[in-house]
Amino acid sequence: MTDAAALLRAVDAFLYREARLLDAGAFEDWRGLFAEDGVYWIPSEPGQSDPVTTVSILREDKALLAMRVRRLGHPRAFALEPRPRTVHSVTNVEMIDLSDANGLCHVASALTVHEYRAGDRAVRAARCEHRLRPAGDSFRIVLKRVDLIDCDAVHDTVISIPL
Amino acid sequence: MAAIRVGELRSLVRRGGVHRRVYADPDIFALEIERIFARTWLYVAHESQLREPGAFLRSRLAAEEVIVTRASDGAVHVLANRCAHRGARLCAIERGTAERFVCPYHAWSFRLDGTLEAVPHPSSYGKAFDVDDAANHLVRAPRVSGYRGFIFASLAPDGPPLDEHLGPLRAAIDNLIDRAPDGEVEIAGGGFRVAYRGNWKFHQENANDTIHPGIVHESSVEAGRQAALRDDAPDGNQTKLQLQSNGFTRREWDNLGLVGFDSGHAFMGGFYADGLLSPGAGDPVSTAYRECLVAARGEARMAEILGVDTFNNLIFPNISLNAQYQQIRVVHPIAPDRSVVHAQCFRLKGAPDAMFERAVHFLSTLNSPASMIFADDVEIFDRCSAGLADPHGGDWVNLSRGLDSDAARAEGGWASSGASELPMRAQFTAWLAHMTVGSNP
Repeated sequence: MTDAAALLRAVDAFLYREARLLDAGAFEDWRGLFAEDGVYWIPSEPGQSDPVTTVSILREDKALLAMRVRRLGHPRAFALEPRPRTVHSVTNVEMIDLSDANGLCHVASALTVHEYRAGDRAVRAARCEHRLRPAGDSFRIVLKRVDLIDCDAVHDTVISIPL
Repeated sequence: MAAIRVGELRSLVRRGGVHRRVYADPDIFALEIERIFARTWLYVAHESQLREPGAFLRSRLAAEEVIVTRASDGAVHVLANRCAHRGARLCAIERGTAERFVCPYHAWSFRLDGTLEAVPHPSSYGKAFDVDDAANHLVRAPRVSGYRGFIFASLAPDGPPLDEHLGPLRAAIDNLIDRAPDGEVEIAGGGFRVAYRGNWKFHQENANDTIHPGIVHESSVEAGRQAALRDDAPDGNQTKLQLQSNGFTRREWDNLGLVGFDSGHAFMGGFYADGLLSPGAGDPVSTAYRECLVAARGEARMAEILGVDTFNNLIFPNISLNAQYQQIRVVHPIAPDRSVVHAQCFRLKGAPDAMFERAVHFLSTLNSPASMIFADDVEIFDRCSAGLADPHGGDWVNLSRGLDSDAARAEGGWASSGASELPMRAQFTAWLAHMTVGSNP
């Protein structure tokens, strides 16, 4: 995948697949998109650089995500009864760096998540950054950072389904 | 509102239960704002957030938005965030430093103590207009007081002093500060504000409801239990331990002591038996921290300080303080069925950095909008709110669990085993005392 256009197509396909797995509730398959050292991060403050001494809405590595995924499949996870339905829309996909010093490609995108659950509707908007490690004809996520536009607001709904 | 007579209010609270109106009735909620939240002491800020003269932050006094300021003379003021001219929200910035607040509408400018400094084109306001007239100043909370860095305000000009209000729960604040080797704490690490659909009292009741965790949080308890301990866990296995700690056995429920006071305050015994943040042997962070504390206070005092094993300390009406894990949560009543929880944490000055990082992680795991724990509490609050709004679904809420085992303590208050709704009964004892002051019989 030396051709930039082909790389972008492959990245598009990967991000769409990620969105589809989340919407389908295939959370373990979604987790499988992460590299073993991959991290999923939703900061609590705009432009947050420090994940250790400032709280995060969510920051989990692949192994910690296993707990989250296990809970998502638990029959008595009451916040998921009934299960939220989501549509994750990924747009504005741009290649920021085709291959950094570690061989990762940096992808910027815009994310909109519509969620419906038990009569309640929510819309969330975020800027996303993916750092992807090429793996065969696809990728593994080394970092997925989701910057919600309202990350520091009063949160009116809980975030049960990953963004 | 004054139309709600004492007799009617008393009829809403009975031995072992309360009427659903205490949660669902808008008139009761309005009376709570007037008689509880506008009279008692409410926590507004911590001194560490207002170190320099000119520092300010936006905060809440229940339904009111306020600006907390440190004026040039060092005094702390709690001001209505509302221009005295036309009522516009004056300050739209969360925190910062300022020399004055200037209204964006007609440029009235106010000093940090809330007094009006100047208005443009003053002659147009007429001869009777006086910048020194108190009616032209920002409304100021008549009483502001601090306890060891915790700043409280009251909208009532008279009433018991703060120390008296805090009463035995001063010990919870003392213990938090004692845990800092330098004897000082600071708010740091950011925080979360999460709204839920439900009455403010649900949050306080839930905090010391030792029965619910094993049921409400079963899904996250099992997720925690099934995860393997890892040597390389980036969080030092804290998430796993925090999730699985909610899985109580029946005997553990019983062994957790609960204490409540007629003032509405309450606390519960600790339940993270070992491991997470607790002074267990073998944990390098705990070991390093204990060494810092021993160096500062000596072995005996260290053991005494860390031996204070209380988990959630509730200060009536709306604070939940956790000294062991350096957490503070304040629940703001917005409407009968809408509340906002503001959760923050403290840094123990002089303690190893890793202690603070654990407090930050604890806060993220428990109170983030993506928390695997709090999400299920919020769901239950929502369900209680929905159920209690139904007019013919039954009038009474049962709070009788453990009623027969409540025992008076020699040092004051009431004690029971963990399997008890004692803290809720204490809350309603105080609730009724506050709510009936000012009504006709």
